[in-house]
Amino acid sequence: MTTETLEKAVATEVPRKQKVILAEGNEAAALGVALARPDMVSVYPITPQSSLVEHLAKLIADGRMDADIVDAEGEHSVLSVLQGGALAGARTYTATCGPGLAFMFEPYFRTPGMRLPIVLTIVTRDGITPQSVWGGHQDAMTVREAGWIQVYCENVQEVLDTTVMAFKIAEHHDVMLPVNVCLDGNYLSYGASRVELPDQADVDAFMGEKDVNWHVALDPLRPMAVDPLTGGTTGKGPQTFVRYRKGQCRGMQNALSVIEEVHADWAKRIGRSFAPLVEEYRLDDAEFAIMTLGSMTGAAKDAIDEARDAGKKVGLIKIKTFSPFPVEALKKSLAKVRALGVIDRSVAFRWNCGPMYQETLGVLYRLGRHIPSMSFIGGLAGADITIPHVHRVIADTEALLNGATAPTEPVWLNEKD
Amino acid sequence: MGRAYSTIAFDPAKCDGCGDCMTACAQAKTGTDDVARSRIQIYGREKDFELALCRQCADPKCVTVCPAGALNKDGTTGVIGWDASKCVDCLLCTVGCAYAGIALDETAGHVSKCDTCDGNPACVPACPHGALKYITTANIYNEVGDWEDLFAPGLAGCQGCNTELLMRHTLRRVGPDTVLATPPGCVPGMGSVGFNGTTGTKIPVFHPLLTNTAAMLAGIKRQYKRVGREVQALAIAGDGGASDVGFQSLSGAAERGEQMLFMVVDNEGYMNTGMQRSSCTPYGAWTSTTPVGETSRGKTQDAKNLPLIMVNHRCAYVATASTAYMEDLYEKLDKAILASKTGFAYLHVYSPCTTGWRFPSNLNMEVARKAVETNFVMLWEYTPQEGLHFTKSVDNPLPVTEYLKAMGRFRHLAPEQVEHIQKKVVENQKFVERMTEHAHVG
Repeated sequence: MTTETLEKAVATEVPRKQKVILAEGNEAAALGVALARPDMVSVYPITPQSSLVEHLAKLIADGRMDADIVDAEGEHSVLSVLQGGALAGARTYTATCGPGLAFMFEPYFRTPGMRLPIVLTIVTRDGITPQSVWGGHQDAMTVREAGWIQVYCENVQEVLDTTVMAFKIAEHHDVMLPVNVCLDGNYLSYGASRVELPDQADVDAFMGEKDVNWHVALDPLRPMAVDPLTGGTTGKGPQTFVRYRKGQCRGMQNALSVIEEVHADWAKRIGRSFAPLVEEYRLDDAEFAIMTLGSMTGAAKDAIDEARDAGKKVGLIKIKTFSPFPVEALKKSLAKVRALGVIDRSVAFRWNCGPMYQETLGVLYRLGRHIPSMSFIGGLAGADITIPHVHRVIADTEALLNGATAPTEPVWLNEKD
Repeated sequence: MGRAYSTIAFDPAKCDGCGDCMTACAQAKTGTDDVARSRIQIYGREKDFELALCRQCADPKCVTVCPAGALNKDGTTGVIGWDASKCVDCLLCTVGCAYAGIALDETAGHVSKCDTCDGNPACVPACPHGALKYITTANIYNEVGDWEDLFAPGLAGCQGCNTELLMRHTLRRVGPDTVLATPPGCVPGMGSVGFNGTTGTKIPVFHPLLTNTAAMLAGIKRQYKRVGREVQALAIAGDGGASDVGFQSLSGAAERGEQMLFMVVDNEGYMNTGMQRSSCTPYGAWTSTTPVGETSRGKTQDAKNLPLIMVNHRCAYVATASTAYMEDLYEKLDKAILASKTGFAYLHVYSPCTTGWRFPSNLNMEVARKAVETNFVMLWEYTPQEGLHFTKSVDNPLPVTEYLKAMGRFRHLAPEQVEHIQKKVVENQKFVERMTEHAHVG
């Protein structure tokens, strides 16, 4: 946020002084959870998420957070406990990754179907096998069609702020969907940096009243049957099913504007602003662009600056909100450039490219204008995406701009590191 | 629901035919020792004595056939009374009664019948062998009948299934401040959660996944506890969801002492989906995935004993029960509900499946009873304080064949398979017996 817009924002509501601390991403996530005041957290440890839930347990043990903590016997039960809690009116939270997310999948898929506004941090980890305990987006990408909102964070401060905002987005009556806050395993989970801690009173005012089970409840004061069968293959059964499915899709689309509103409200009350859907960096006069997701964006922005210094007219498009995919916002950004390189930290096996690249192809079609593009895959299994890697992406994309044929295979950035 | 009344019960095994009861009755009712005028009659010579006495029937045929309105059943006491001023001495009632409970008193010139001496029958204390008892049968139903039935009428269970009985009575007992979890299986299959916007249940009810019943319920219960509301968490689950794919969440919730009542309706397989094998299916049983053919003679492994596994979680309460022994079941239900206020309570109810076990639908209780009488199923309860003890001990169990032959699912058994089952029954009985010996150690 520029100084000018920040001043405009604080003119109405002056945020209280913020305590500055040094925190890793996992700790920042835990602090964000505490600020949002959930009633219930359920936890099961897994690398690289473990220190996050340890921080939560300690915050509760120290009396700095008033929540029921359920040490469940596995991720499947972790999310199931939270579903029960939410149906009884609790604001709920958990975190997992990789194999834990895979084990959780059965209740995971059901959560948005019941429209339960649960917040779940994915401390992203690559998919096994090959065996790996290190970062990568494969876990979150694998479940991208399960109906959860998914937002990716660039840095530790964004982790903290987005974690609080996630509850507000999830519980918005026009949305009522669970949210994944994705933070990169290793790079953000363990990377310590300066973090400003919002004042609890400001966050309380931002959050407003809790109202998570107005639409569906397991409550003797409001007896109802939750999730009965939608019987039969004709007539009323499928009609009911379609109505619910359409509702999920509508909630997901509603989330696009709600995410923007919530980010604007956060900026106004707390004084920090993040691009809610798509961030443009030095894009306005760019001829071509690279696209990033998550923590790789930091190195990519430095590389862009260097390339600009070298006279290349390149900009950057960062996706923050991956689900729902911000088609209209991305269309506006893509309309500005004539070639595109997309960096993914995971693979779309079926298309032999990165998942974000695959999604972007759909947006390019809707743009109605052909832009040469190519897919780069890097940062698998905890590998670093460095400034030189990004320069490779910039160079290859610039070649597309100058008429080179786009390869049908992705470029594997760390193949020969 | 009809009311249960007090009645005179007769145990022929204890009767030696002395006739003291008849003398007592004659003295009380006629002022004479003329046992022919006694309203209780014992027939037989040396053994196998039979009783002729008014049963105070719920649907009394004597009352139905009486053309004079001289016989009436008292709604409060249940006693069938005779009104001399209306009787026309036609004796049709003596033909209508199948128990010889009303007969002509030739001396008096009218019929006479037992009136239970206004609730203090003279015959009962007169019996020197304890063969007569004045008892209230199914007393529990009087209380239960006063509670609201929280299931809709006409649930879609299989004919002869005892699960509807179990569900209605359990819900009556826990009452409306309950959240009910019924994971996929026969219980929701009967319509308890419902179809297309209608539900069979009057309290909050839901389908958990087959895998996460205990975990979801734990979340619900914890949140109500957090906000200071007393809400009963109740699961009614099948054996498959509890012992197989749902076992992890069940075990986890039990270990954490989550406050709920988890009831397993054990019909020994995945009966709702078409009678497939579960880990609770007994050895030798036919199921659709342990079929009988050239190379297969039913299930080749013994059943997992889930309730004993739950004992090893040191749950606040664990018990096994059978719908053939409802008073035992009710006592356990009460204890389980109480225990679930402070910890994890587990109730394992054996539930014969008319469809999947292949027996006539009128024999459910008979099959359930035979399971207990042969020790194939043992009824016991456990608390950490009192340990484990039998609530219904079977000292002289029937041969297990008495149980096996009642069902089509065991019809194919070879003699060595029957032998294996009988051996296991004895082993299991000894195993549980040994646990009772350590009852007060823990």
